[in-house]
Amino acid sequence: MITLKINNTEIEVENGTSVMKAAQQMGIDIPNMCWHDELEHFTSCMLCLVKDAKNGNLFPSCSVKATDGLEIITDDSEIKEARQTALELLLSEHVGDCEAPCQIACPAHMNIPLMNRLIAAGKFDESLAVVKRDIALPAVLGRICPAPCEGACHRKTVDEAVSICLLKRFVGDEGTEPEIIPGPKTGKKVAVIGAGPAGLAAAYYLQLKGVEVTLLDKNEKPGGLLRTAISEEILPKEVLDKEIEMMLKPGVTFQGGKEIDTAFFAQLKNDFDAVILATGTLPENAEFFGLKATPKGIIADRDSYQTSDPKVFAVGNVLRSSRLAVRSVGQGKEVAFSVLQFFSGQQPTGEPRMFNSRFGKLVSAEFSEYLKESVNEKRTFPEKGGHSSFSKDEAIAEAKRCMHCDCRAIDNCKLREYSHQYNADQKRFKTSERRNITKSTSHSSVIYEPQKCIKCGICVRLTEKHGEQFGFTYIGRGFDVEIGIPFNEELKDGLSKIAVKVAEGCPTGAISLKNVD
Amino acid sequence: MTNQFQHIDKLIAEKGTERKSLIPILQAIQNEYNYLPEESLKYLAEKSNITPAEIISVASFYKQFRMKPSGKHIVKICVGTACHVKGATLVHDAFKRHFKLSDTEDTDKDGEYTLEKVSCLGCCTLAPVVQVDGITYGHVAPDQVDAVIADFESQQGKTEGKKYRKADGSEIKGEIRIGLGSCCVASGSDEIRKEVEKVAMENNLRVNLKHVGCVGMCHQVPLVEIVPNDGEPTLYAKVKPEDVKQIVESHFEPPTFFARMKNKIFNLAEEIQTDRNWEGVQRYEISMREKPVASFLGNQVPIATEYRGMINPVDINEYKSRGGFTALTKVLQTMSPDDVVAEVKNSGIRGRGGAGFPTGIKWELVKKEISDSKYLICNGDEGDPGAFMDRMLLESYPYRVIEGIIIAAYAVNIHQGYFYIRAEYPLAVKRISKALEVCYENNLLGENIMSSGFNFELKIYEGAGAFVCGEETALIASIEGSRGFPHIRPPFPAQQGLWGQPTLVNNTETFAQISYIIREGFEKFKNIGTERNSGTKVFALAGKVARGGLIEVPMGITIRQVVEEIGGGIANGRTFKAVQIGGPSGGCIPAEHADTPINYESLSAMGAMMGSGGLVVLDDTDCMVDIARFFLSFTQDESCGKCTFCRVGTKRMLDILENITSGKGKQGDLEELEKLAEWTKKGSLCGLGKTAPNPVLSTLQYFRHEYEAHINGVCPTGKCTKLITYSVNDKCIGCTLCVQKCPVDAIPFTPHEKHSINTELCIKCDACRAVCPEDAIDVR
Repeated sequence: MITLKINNTEIEVENGTSVMKAAQQMGIDIPNMCWHDELEHFTSCMLCLVKDAKNGNLFPSCSVKATDGLEIITDDSEIKEARQTALELLLSEHVGDCEAPCQIACPAHMNIPLMNRLIAAGKFDESLAVVKRDIALPAVLGRICPAPCEGACHRKTVDEAVSICLLKRFVGDEGTEPEIIPGPKTGKKVAVIGAGPAGLAAAYYLQLKGVEVTLLDKNEKPGGLLRTAISEEILPKEVLDKEIEMMLKPGVTFQGGKEIDTAFFAQLKNDFDAVILATGTLPENAEFFGLKATPKGIIADRDSYQTSDPKVFAVGNVLRSSRLAVRSVGQGKEVAFSVLQFFSGQQPTGEPRMFNSRFGKLVSAEFSEYLKESVNEKRTFPEKGGHSSFSKDEAIAEAKRCMHCDCRAIDNCKLREYSHQYNADQKRFKTSERRNITKSTSHSSVIYEPQKCIKCGICVRLTEKHGEQFGFTYIGRGFDVEIGIPFNEELKDGLSKIAVKVAEGCPTGAISLKNVD
Repeated sequence: MTNQFQHIDKLIAEKGTERKSLIPILQAIQNEYNYLPEESLKYLAEKSNITPAEIISVASFYKQFRMKPSGKHIVKICVGTACHVKGATLVHDAFKRHFKLSDTEDTDKDGEYTLEKVSCLGCCTLAPVVQVDGITYGHVAPDQVDAVIADFESQQGKTEGKKYRKADGSEIKGEIRIGLGSCCVASGSDEIRKEVEKVAMENNLRVNLKHVGCVGMCHQVPLVEIVPNDGEPTLYAKVKPEDVKQIVESHFEPPTFFARMKNKIFNLAEEIQTDRNWEGVQRYEISMREKPVASFLGNQVPIATEYRGMINPVDINEYKSRGGFTALTKVLQTMSPDDVVAEVKNSGIRGRGGAGFPTGIKWELVKKEISDSKYLICNGDEGDPGAFMDRMLLESYPYRVIEGIIIAAYAVNIHQGYFYIRAEYPLAVKRISKALEVCYENNLLGENIMSSGFNFELKIYEGAGAFVCGEETALIASIEGSRGFPHIRPPFPAQQGLWGQPTLVNNTETFAQISYIIREGFEKFKNIGTERNSGTKVFALAGKVARGGLIEVPMGITIRQVVEEIGGGIANGRTFKAVQIGGPSGGCIPAEHADTPINYESLSAMGAMMGSGGLVVLDDTDCMVDIARFFLSFTQDESCGKCTFCRVGTKRMLDILENITSGKGKQGDLEELEKLAEWTKKGSLCGLGKTAPNPVLSTLQYFRHEYEAHINGVCPTGKCTKLITYSVNDKCIGCTLCVQKCPVDAIPFTPHEKHSINTELCIKCDACRAVCPEDAIDVR
């Protein structure tokens, strides 16, 4: 047995144990990407650097065996900076998007590519369920949203953006409302003041989380500006009523005709565990509510929407006047998260935004690569013209134009997780032109995107170990080294036996399972 | 194809079917086809135990291997440090224009010529150097491309003439020594040899003709030394074939010829004028008076280079007659292995490969390991683009290196050894092969060496071109038939090296000094040099010094002594600016610190490194940012690509340097460069990455103002082409020479009028400035 000290705590480990494994035995997480439990250490990614406490030298803990008397520090500011720098270097050669640009551009952060894929597969109900995770009013927004997502769509660089907004409208209209299974009752009560897009969304997502919601509005009917400011031709009242009804039905109490004054506001604060202010326009007597405000709107935290009164949150146009209903809807969703954090005694921070790798605009050489996962067809327009919707066939055809820009490893990527954890900045080493993206799609179960590769060699070593005839190999050296199949054989020939194992072993989305949805 | 496959079958039968045979097999295939045909490799994978993945990973790792057919002739442009500072990039660009190559092409349309950049041809004193197949051209200027190619083509189809050499060796009047080191051969010494043989034959002279290795006077090649039986030897430098007759006859025929020749020759005893150059393409730039050559040789202590110029490299009897193998005899007959280790330890010698680990201790470490099959490796994978010491030692003193190796093997109890030599050093491979053969014949290798009961097998392993393989764990991976990926130490090779066995890896120069220590005793060695840095160090002195070449100096000598006393100061009346010591791992020490003594510790303290011993002198025309960029582009290309900080870190540093030298630098770049350099040092796995930032950090330390100037859009020395423009000043006399030289017609033909340069068309090739007789071209 070996005795060593990790972060000033003594530990005994078996002979031959690596320092990384020793630390893990103590429950200390050491980031690593080139390590694979089936394989020998390789010392490539350098994320597992730790410090020898005696001489201050950094060394890769995956490759150094624990020795008696060793004293290790696993986490100080220098080690953090080393790992952050290593990640930033890796990110500088990692060409790929985590989330698709459309999703990042969407103020409600909706998972658009997944919605598209489900529509393309004819799964409209599932598609609606995906939409409603982020957008409470798809049929409504599908008619009025200016669609910032389509401005960011990579397909726009190739020919024309995917008609995302109309697709959302299509599932909003055609999909069966997902069955709402409210979460366990929290026993908390929230008053939402104002039943415009922001208030409606807040109420919807809070009830999903087991909160008892009372939605109040000065008008008799909910809808706010959606009801008053948009023409019947663009947004028929029937559509609005139906969608609002569906979302409030499970358990939101709506009280119309309620003007809020200072006394009533104080009353609400007293009766409810939290109050969400979503009145659209700034109440003239806002100051009387005791909340800090500027002439433009209530002051609230940008991420959590908490106002100067911890119990009061504010979303929508009450913060800043905007014609973007989707932003209000998104805020309504996010504030629900903050309120729940508030209830559980945490400091409200709002929904966490994961790190996103982004490469910028597609270049023409990449069009054909991206089209491998799509169809080379022109944008579809509803045949009926005017303000009409897609037919089923039209919707499927259009959804197929989506190029699957989102990474398949989005929830299973060490590079993304650690980049998030260490607050890495992908732009730091943007010192020269990026590589062009290519995609190998010939394999039935995996897809290979070499420019996402970080050269950890796990695939090379796994295919060697398991006796793949061709397998993966290093080609070239230095910065230009690539991982490929020898003799330019097809991906399916390189991975004839252990494709799934290799995809699962890849620490990024370079080799990933084709169908993850 | 059948032939091709038969060839592979034969190779497999000869070299084996296992992975360790992969590199030799690939080398043999490439020798046959001048590239690696994919069909051959597939067939190899099918018929051997080597997988396609292994074949491709190795074939694509080493520089030697080509995956596409090359042209009939290979044009190698040396872009080593010495050539770089003398304008190799412009030469390369000129060849590219000549062959009309785009940025992605390397072979001309007709498939005649392939253009290649190589890191060092080992002829630094002839910089810039271009090699076309077997012919080397020195001092090539960008406007000489046509001449070089024309000259090369004129040599084609010429068969070698008969060898003129007398068979009977009686009545010898003296000896004629002809330098046949790389620089000498490159400068045409082989032609001189033929001419000497011819003259000797015609005159029925009874003289010994002797081929000697490098004498370290590479700036004066080709060299011929006449050693009469009576009288002083005379050394002739820069000899032309037509001089030979008169030189030879002046010594061995009536003296009237001598009188006629007197003002043409160079003599050891007098001041010499070295302005006699090869005509045509061999254009030497130095046209100045030099100090006597004697002082050049005199300030040094030859140990590894003992008897330089006096012994025929492959003649074992000559080596023996000058004390060769007496150390080995002493060891085998009178010393126990422990005695030998103690002697080496006491001498204080430290590894000459650069890091300076005490050699005796390394021997002890391997010695104490218990294993039946330990290995010894002589590291001759010299990869520093500005150094050629190992090459010279291997070419000129093969027996001395072998003797040191056998002594080490005996001391450490090793029975199998490898000479790892770069395949780019064909002459070294040839000489060592010959010397090994002779040693086996003479019972100096093999079973029961000199009846001592000690057995030792030694063979050559040809490296395939990877700087990182100078790192011992990468070198071992390479011998095992893999990519030169270093691995983490521990385990050190002393414990687990080649095929997992304890392995002693020493540098060529270290081995070359062993026989001296044993023969003369450790005290004598220890008394040379300084307290913690005993003995001597061989350097390749190159760059802007008046006299370049191989030097061997005692440790502790100052940089100034080397540059001024040995190198004869800066050439062409320029000002001494800095020395680059240690190549890509080293740094630049500015002139104001020239009194720094040369030893492992003081160089490190200055941000440089002993490294492998490249010593490139820079003058006031050299841009320090460009030097840093040059080394980074080298290390970036040579990084094995395994660990993040080296693979990506060096690339990003290079990016920043390229941005700075092309006018795209911005505030904050220097700080980022420094940070990244520090992290690359701290976070890299092996020595290559850990030292790669040194050229950047040392120039940032001493020449930060030059970096700042670049960021402000000015290259103070006018070297960075993207930051300069060419223009004509009022000194112009309208002679049209520049017009005729301009390769892109950027100067209109206006005879007798002041010329002008169209900066839109100008490619900044420097041809106009070089040709202008009136100094009328301004570069700003």
